[in-house]
Amino acid sequence: MSAIEVSNLQRDFQTTIGVFKRKKKTVSAVKGISFEIAHGELFGLLGPNGAGKTTSVKMLTTLLIPTGGTARILGFDIVKDAEKVRPRVGFIFGGERGLYWRLNATDNLRYFASLYYIDPAVSKKRIPYLLEMVGLKDRADEKVEGYSRGMRQRLHIARALLHDPEVLFLDEPTMGLDPVGARELRQTVRNLQNEKKTILLTTHYMFEADALCQRIAVINKGEIVAMDTPARIKDTVNDLSVIEIEVFGIPPETFEKIKSLPVVESATVEDRDQRQLLLVHTSKGAEAIPLLVSQLNDLKLGKVTTREPTLEDAYVRLVGGE
Amino acid sequence: MSGWQKVQYNLRVIFMAFEIELRQSFTDAFVLFGIIVQPMIVAFMALWMLKDQVANYAIFVVVGSAMTGLWTTLLFQGGNSITGERWTGTLEPLSCVPAPLRVVVSGKLLATITQSLFSIVCCYAFISLLMGLPLNIAKPWLFAGSVVLTVVAFIAFGLIIGPLFILNPDVQRFQNGLEFVVYIFSGFLFPIALLPMWTTPFSYILTPYWAARALHAASGGTGSDAEIYFCWAMLVVFSLIYAIISKFLFKSILRKAREDATLNMQ
Repeated sequence: MSAIEVSNLQRDFQTTIGVFKRKKKTVSAVKGISFEIAHGELFGLLGPNGAGKTTSVKMLTTLLIPTGGTARILGFDIVKDAEKVRPRVGFIFGGERGLYWRLNATDNLRYFASLYYIDPAVSKKRIPYLLEMVGLKDRADEKVEGYSRGMRQRLHIARALLHDPEVLFLDEPTMGLDPVGARELRQTVRNLQNEKKTILLTTHYMFEADALCQRIAVINKGEIVAMDTPARIKDTVNDLSVIEIEVFGIPPETFEKIKSLPVVESATVEDRDQRQLLLVHTSKGAEAIPLLVSQLNDLKLGKVTTREPTLEDAYVRLVGGE
Repeated sequence: MSGWQKVQYNLRVIFMAFEIELRQSFTDAFVLFGIIVQPMIVAFMALWMLKDQVANYAIFVVVGSAMTGLWTTLLFQGGNSITGERWTGTLEPLSCVPAPLRVVVSGKLLATITQSLFSIVCCYAFISLLMGLPLNIAKPWLFAGSVVLTVVAFIAFGLIIGPLFILNPDVQRFQNGLEFVVYIFSGFLFPIALLPMWTTPFSYILTPYWAARALHAASGGTGSDAEIYFCWAMLVVFSLIYAIISKFLFKSILRKAREDATLNMQ
């Protein structure tokens, strides 16, 4: 039996549009996803904003009721056995909310320890251990309102681990952290993996998923479009080359024109200060450069290079260049 | 986990929620206004209004104005107890713990009421020290018993208000109006006999009415022991009814919030 079994899970949301003639509209955030995660596995759920990652995690942590499909955590149904699922899972959502800012870290953890029915004798030892583990031991008596974003995120991790859950859901845990904070947090995740926790990590940072996860599912518009090891997902773009062109002020219509060229598999534009980096995936390699440059002949260009594809390129191909 | 163990853990949850709520709200100026300043203003006005109309009027005013402070903080803090957690993003983690949310809210309400009991002390000091009026409690033991049952009854009442405000946000828009409706229908500062007869049944289903009646009767000596015991019985009966209703309300709001994705508000 897998630790997490998800079968055709769906979630629709009802919204209303209009002011006077209000109409109900159904939005499908998750459209029947299925996957399994083995005990002790670190599984990544990758996707762009609005792909359905957080909605999926919220259903698996019993915070949302699915509109279709089923999921089981350690054999317990997330709807029928929600009360049995909750003590066995821990979760953190990206962001700073979900803590009591007027209290210090120790009091936040003491409070949640009581809510998890943890024996006071156990929590007395566990709270200092967790604060040390997440690097907050020296600031444990300061109010949370004075913490940096990274410190609050680490306190979230300590809260999620209070009851020593078998399964952890980490929803974009490094979102908004500075590079040093993000690196420390990734090390914490690695340590948790060494403790044989089953972890579902959502992120849109490819290098993070590549560095941490044993398997990855790419989710786009509520559907899983690929699921495999990072290495195998990278293999799916072995036939492609990536051409990077530095360009100054590319108009949207020119970008659309480039995307529609037959030699272009997919393309994205990344802002880099005052310039943009046009990334083009093509099976033609360097041969495609003259055609691409001819489309940009009115613009000031910088460096033009070709390179081997990465996991990020595989991801871009899978989500259609979004 | 055995039933007794669960009771022990839930008592600990109530104690922790009580402690956490007290620590947080003592830094809130609105709360401090509600428990210290407002009862004094009400007491000052009521003293002049009731000077020649009510026997033993000073203690009547202390109890009545303290009840207004109690009800105000319960209505606003108790009513917003769940909404507040939702806005700070803590309702999601609170909904995913083994401790039932209504047990957590009970601890928070106990803290709210404890702060309000402080109102009685403030009012007592204001009237007896600053205004130099005599304050004698006619039946101290029955008064103490009435205070304990008032606390229980107000917690039960608060357990209905919180989820009701979530289930029907329209009710929350009338929060200020509800404050005065309950002052009047519960007879905090004047007897409900002054109101039209058709309003009496409404007063009877409100625990604050029985609490005010018991406290006034025990403090001013205006009612018999039998009348006070009858009020106690009513407080127990209605508190139980409220507790049963609140259990269903909590179950239904949590189910609805999970269906509508409203546990977290950004």
